[in-house]
This record gives sequence, structure tokens and C-alpha cells, in this order.
Amino acid sequence: MRIGKSLPVWPLVALAIVATWAIGVAVTGVSRALLPSPALVVDAAQELAGSGQLAKHVRVSVTRLAAGFALSTLLALIAAFVFARVAWVRSVVEPPLEFLRQIPPLAMIPLLILWLGIGEAQKIGIITLACFFPIFLGTTGGIAQCDQKLIEVGRVSGLSPNEILLRVVLPSALPSVVIGLRIALGQGWRALVGAELVASSAGLGYLIEDAQNLARTDIVVVGVILIGTLGLASDWLFRHAIASAWPWVPVDRPHESNA
Amino acid sequence: MLECRAISKTYRIEGREVAALRDFDLHLPAGSLTVLVGPSGCGKTTALRLLAGLEQPTAGAIVRSGGKPLGVGYVFQEPRLMPWLSVARNVGFALEGRAPKPDITARVAEILDVMGLGDFADARPDQLSGGMASRAGLARALVTRPELLLLDEPFAALDAMTRRRLQAELVAVWQRLRPTIVFVTHDIEEAALLADSVCLMERGVIAERYANRVPRPRDPTDLAIVELRRAIIAGFEAGESRKSNT
Ligand SMILES: Nc1ncnc2c1ncn2[C@@H]1O[C@H](COP(=O)(O)OP(=O)(O)OP(=O)(O)O)[C@@H](O)[C@H]1O
Ligand SMILES: [Mg+2]
Repeated sequence: MRIGKSLPVWPLVALAIVATWAIGVAVTGVSRALLPSPALVVDAAQELAGSGQLAKHVRVSVTRLAAGFALSTLLALIAAFVFARVAWVRSVVEPPLEFLRQIPPLAMIPLLILWLGIGEAQKIGIITLACFFPIFLGTTGGIAQCDQKLIEVGRVSGLSPNEILLRVVLPSALPSVVIGLRIALGQGWRALVGAELVASSAGLGYLIEDAQNLARTDIVVVGVILIGTLGLASDWLFRHAIASAWPWVPVDRPHESNA
Repeated sequence: MLECRAISKTYRIEGREVAALRDFDLHLPAGSLTVLVGPSGCGKTTALRLLAGLEQPTAGAIVRSGGKPLGVGYVFQEPRLMPWLSVARNVGFALEGRAPKPDITARVAEILDVMGLGDFADARPDQLSGGMASRAGLARALVTRPELLLLDEPFAALDAMTRRRLQAELVAVWQRLRPTIVFVTHDIEEAALLADSVCLMERGVIAERYANRVPRPRDPTDLAIVELRRAIIAGFEAGESRKSNT
């Protein structure tokens, strides 16, 4: 569509939502403990930003996410690699993995608290659990779908099976790996906030939980908006990085998503 | 020297057996240039795949005299380029990690120039035309200077002028480095121009062989070449009528 392309619609949509919210609060006279007005939320955000609280919680959450995401990427790629090369490992390890996959990471929080305490290890553990499967499934799926014809090119070029995996199969699986990574990022973010709600002394989940205990609904709303915005921003950055690093990988490019 | 002895290859398609090659005998002296012609589905690609070791025969054997395994260059019927690599890196694919980087760069640049792809070294495969992609596939097979060069209709996607030029180029490479070449084509004129031996295939067997001692460079209008083409076409038609009689 012409309008969609020349002028992104999302600022208008955001504006409309905020306007509806402001008008709704003013007209209904709903109590600020239930839903504060946008102006009050902005005030709360300024207060938090001024005291350095906001930056601190964001930094804690983002650091946890980055650590868990990196760890699970490493584990998932190694697992997929081994599965592709060693059939018996796959047949042994796949059933328990399939079982684990059915369990929502948040259901593992009690056990992880017992095993890892309530510190960083437990948070990173939850994120790793949440991120692992999307990456692992994306990678194994991508490997399984690799075009046999390209593998034959590797064979007639005299490549060893390991070289074929590294130079043909993995690159061709990359689009599917990237989709897995992107889903993992979203899942990891959700799991992190969940873990911070349950047992934590810092992070965005904690910020919300603490504010609720103090009946500061304005801060809760600040936290919720921040979580959504950071999720969007990380996804946008991720797609941007992929599009410039691997131009041939089909991701919906950031500049196209508003069209 | 390489020899196919009584090779059979059967495929299973939904429980039904399809014989792609039946008692297929082919003798390939070192440094020979053999052309396989024959109608679609007669088993030409299958023969190349067996020679390349991509597939094992159901019966019979491929016998090779001489020591170490042959370096193989294979030009597939489709270009089969890696979409994530530049044209230059596709062409240098088999050399990567096996030769010093500057050597690879130089050899790749040289062969790309020969193929008329010099300006497209950094292009991605999806930015090439069909004929350009097939030339890149040809470059990838030639750049390793293989002892056995298998080409499956390498010039099918090219215009007549480019085809003529690359045919001459291939013959020049062959005369310089003397690889053993097996060249598959549908084009009888091409077969007569290139081969020192033409094998006409028919439903999985070699129906007829034609030696070709016409001196090079060859001209398609040369009387001996025209005669050879006529003989191959006659063989082709004899095969077709045998087929309709059975
Ligand atoms: N992977 C396969 N699975 C089953 N059948 C196959 C396979 N490859 C080839 N065939 C069968 O073997 C026969 C010969 O096929 P082949 O590809 O060798 O023919 P061709 O002479 O190269 O034909 P064309 O000129 O059309 O490329 C055909 O009947 C085909 O159906
Ligand atoms: Mg074929």
C-alpha cells in the first residue's frame, strides 16, 4: 500500500492507544490504583529514571537475558551438531529431551531454586531452559532440510563428513537457526520476567512485583511498557543484525515490517 | 584408465523397479574425451553419478587402474551453487583449506575471466542469470584441475555464441591438462564437435559407439563432422523404432 510504505503507521497507532487510554481514564474516573492516567505513568517513569532505579533494573534484566541466551545458543548448537553426526547419541538423548521440552520453564523454578539458589545462576538457568528448545529445534530442523544436492557438491569436492556439516549443512540451516534464535529471544525474555517475579531483588520483574506490593500501579504500568518495548527493541536489533550479516537469509527486514 | 564393467543400477520408485543402467560397459582411457548422448531418461546422469562415486552400482564394478583416487570435477545438470557464498567463493569451494589463500584467489580470478564472469566475483548466486550460474558451476569444476572431469549438459543453458566459445575453451583445457572427460549432452552437433568417442545410449545401455578422429580445431560444417552427425542421428532413429516395436 502506498500510505503504508511512505509513512510508518505505528506512531499513529501508539498515539491513538494513549489518547484512548487518557480519555477513558478521565471520562470513567477510574481510581489511580486500578489504572493511572498516562500523565501519572510518565511522572513515575521520570521519578524512576531520575533515581537511577530504571537503568539499574533494565541493566540487570538485560544482562541475565544475554548470558542465558548465549549459553543456550552454545548448548543447542553443540547438541544439534552431535545429533547430526552421531546417530546413537541422538537415539539415547532425544526421548528425555522431548520430555523436558513439554515442561514450561517456569514450572522448573522451584527445583532450580533448590539446586541453584535464588541468585543469578537460577535466573540464567530459567532463561537457558526457555531459549534452548527453539534454537535446538530450529537447528536440527534446518539440518534435516538441507538440500541433498548441495551435500553432493561437498562430496564430489572431496570434503569429509565433518567438513560437509560445517561448510554445507550448517550454512544452509542458518535461516532456520535464525528463526529459532529469534523465537528463543522472545521466550527467554518472558521466562526472565517470570523468574524475576517469583524470587528476585532486582530486574524488571522485581520492579513490577515490588511496586504491586506498595500499591504503586503507576510503576507497574511503567514496568509493563518497558518490558514490551525492550522486547520489541531486541527483536528489531536482532533482525537488523541478521539482515546485514547474512543478506541471503530471509528474515522480514526491519524496514519492511511496517509496510 | 577407468572402466565400467557390466554395471547395473536399479532404482525403486514406489515398489516398482526402474533399471537406469543395464549391463553398462564403458572404457575410458586416461586423457580421453568421451561424449554420452541419448534420449531423456536413458541413464546418462546415472552413469556420471556412478563414475563420481555419488552412488554405488547395484551390480558390476567400476575398475580403475593406477594408485591414488582420482581428483573429480563434476558439473551437475543444475548449477547447484551455495546461495550463501559469493560467486568467487563458490568457484573456489573445493580449494578452500587445501591451497594457500593467494593461490586460490589467483586461480579463481583466472577461471572467472575465462568464463566471462570476472565482473561478478562478488555477486551472490541469486543475482546471476541461468547461463551465468551454469558457467560458475563449470568454473568450480575446472578450477581444481581434476583428473576426471564429468560434465552433465554443461552448456544447455547457454546461447549459441557463448556455447561455441566455451566448447573451444573446454577443448583447450583438455589439450593442455589432459583430464579424462565424460561429457553428457542432448546436442548431436556438440557431441560430434567435442568427442574423440561418442557413445549413444538407449534405455540404460550403450547402443552404439562412434570413434571420431577428425583433427582439431573442428568445424561443424566439415564434411567428416556432418557425416558423423548423420550417423549418430541414424543410430538415434534406429533406437526409437526399436523402442516402438517392443
Ligand atoms: N534418484 C532416483 N530415484 C529413482 N529413479 C531414478 C533416480 N535417478 C534416476 N532415476 C531413474 O533412472 C532413469 C535414468 O535417469 P537419468 O537421470 O540417468 O536420465 P538422463 O539420461 O540423465 O535423462 P535427462 O537427459 O532427462 O537428464 C530414469 O528412468 C529415472 O526415472
Ligand atoms: Mg540427466
